[in-house]
Amino acid sequence: MATVTAGWRDRESDTIELDAVLDGRGRHLNLYGRLTDVLHTDRRFADAALTHRDAVDELAGVYSVRLQRALDSVYSVQRRKLRPAIAESALSDGVRVVQSIDRWYLDTVDQLEGDLRASAQAEGSEPIQRHRAEVAEAIDTAAALAIAGGHVGLLLQCLKLFDVNPAGELPVIGWSAGAMALTERVVLYNDLGPSGVVGSEVWDRGLGRAPRVVAMPHARRRLRMDDPAVLRVLARRFGDARCLLLDDGARVEVGPGGELPQGARVIGDDGLVHGVGDPT
Amino acid sequence: MTITHRTTYKRRPKLAINKLMERRPLDGATIDRFLERHGAPIVEGDRATFLWRGEADQVMVRHRVVGLPDPLPLRRIHDTDLWYVTIELPAGSRVEYQFELVWGEHRESYVNDPLNPKLANGPFGASSAVAATGYEVPEWCQPDPEARRGELVEQMLKSKALRRDVAFGLYLPARFRTVVRYPLLIVHDGWDYLDYTSFRTVLDNLIHRGEVAEMVVAFLPAGERRLVEYANHAPHARFVARELTPYLLDTFPLVPTPDGRTLMGSSFGGVAAASTSARYPGQFGSLFLESASLVFTDIGGNHGGGPVFDPVVKFVNAYRSRPRRIVERIFMTCGMYEPLIAPNRSMVTTFREAGMEVRYVESRDGHNWENWRDRLRDGLTWLHPGDQKFVYE
Repeated sequence: MATVTAGWRDRESDTIELDAVLDGRGRHLNLYGRLTDVLHTDRRFADAALTHRDAVDELAGVYSVRLQRALDSVYSVQRRKLRPAIAESALSDGVRVVQSIDRWYLDTVDQLEGDLRASAQAEGSEPIQRHRAEVAEAIDTAAALAIAGGHVGLLLQCLKLFDVNPAGELPVIGWSAGAMALTERVVLYNDLGPSGVVGSEVWDRGLGRAPRVVAMPHARRRLRMDDPAVLRVLARRFGDARCLLLDDGARVEVGPGGELPQGARVIGDDGLVHGVGDPT
Repeated sequence: MTITHRTTYKRRPKLAINKLMERRPLDGATIDRFLERHGAPIVEGDRATFLWRGEADQVMVRHRVVGLPDPLPLRRIHDTDLWYVTIELPAGSRVEYQFELVWGEHRESYVNDPLNPKLANGPFGASSAVAATGYEVPEWCQPDPEARRGELVEQMLKSKALRRDVAFGLYLPARFRTVVRYPLLIVHDGWDYLDYTSFRTVLDNLIHRGEVAEMVVAFLPAGERRLVEYANHAPHARFVARELTPYLLDTFPLVPTPDGRTLMGSSFGGVAAASTSARYPGQFGSLFLESASLVFTDIGGNHGGGPVFDPVVKFVNAYRSRPRRIVERIFMTCGMYEPLIAPNRSMVTTFREAGMEVRYVESRDGHNWENWRDRLRDGLTWLHPGDQKFVYE
């Protein structure tokens, strides 16, 4: 079992519990340690990564401002008492605006990643190529890949830098941030944090192994589940992708096309939580 | 059909002071035991009873709560030397107060409560303080053994602007690395913030929890001429913007753009932060103002603050006559029980209308370090949020 614990950052090697669960059959890929090594040994990459991070921070700040305004507008219209036809039309149009901001953000992220690739020149970097080869060898010989949670941003950065893109037939298990990284679109949410309720934000593209799914671990601990106006927007915002709630202990086997099993808990268009296949 | 309407009154429990007044004999020993048992002030539900014991012609509570008479006279319990007054004290409040005593022609002011050991530390000394039901010192400002400690190093910078060497404290977060870029926070009255608000512990804890970004914090000392240098003083602003900030940017791995830089201060320190960013617009991304002394007048110059406020009023009046965008975001906080609440409330609108994003938090507290400590989390998490929204484990 190849394992990724990069989301744990400098606690990446604290794998005693994981080793016990895997019965000692885990082969840890140490992606965070590899990233740290690259940052220290490849000056070109380190400089490019810093510039990239500054640009992403700037972009995320602007995205956040634009998104929050758009979401506030949709929520406030929804809370008005309106004729059903006007309410539905305002909601659909408001969601389209939010989707367009999400799309603009992800397109810009893609452009910035292109800039990073061009300036970092990973293909010519000895440490990056060496680490990629070692990681690929470990994954090729593994029966499965397990991706633990933690910091989803750093996790994705490591997965992308070291080209972790497991073949379709390799079983992949992801939990918490690891589950988010397996989807096409990583969405952040922290309504119960110290800054209060802020809109859920798209962060980055994931590995896409679980298509048409937005993974939402610990949703009940992090998301305001008592406001259907907010959940209605969330459910519609990501097109045909469904917001899959992964609360503590939940285990969901996702099919290759993103099929969800009976009973998997998702947010419905009505802003309520439903089990997949439950009678409506 | 008869409908009877019965009103049920929920009786408030009798106050301890009222029970005491029913006691007979009400002698010195009884009062001694009463004070030993209850301390002072006595907080019961949403009411607080202030007590003074001793001979006087008049005893008054001095405070800064808008809506309560000031001075607030105490009544003497007949045939005793115990004085009292009871007020409403909303849940979660902290109120600073002192006594004023009169004997004939003699008046003694600013007397802290000898029956109350709790003090609120402010820029002009300590006052007695009473906390209402429900107030708790936030747990995030207590040392957390799990949180890794950042480092506080002393730095020295020769300032041409101030014509002196400035020694300041620099906080570097735990696991400080040169391969990342940190936001910079510059704090006026830095040593007081460290001494009275547990700022270092707060940073350690909030960074550890991912609520606040790992950041570098410069704690500036107040000079001997604090009230001059913090009151819209060109050399001070030049020191911060043209000497300190470039030095820190050259020496430490900091976010290079203004949005990564915040100026902070409380009381006159808030004026220093605001006036520095007004003199150097666009150099700093945000302001963190706690009970900033942004006093102004709408007509005339009678601001009531004495000569030290003259340059402040001149600065704020000029700014209000031509509001402009000096930073992108401002976090403002002020206590409801301090005289600066009115100007702060007004400045929120002024700053917003100038095109800045303002988050404003009021607290049921006064002009003191404990209040400013209690608001640190609100401000820091909004201005420089940490990685918490990225962490799912």
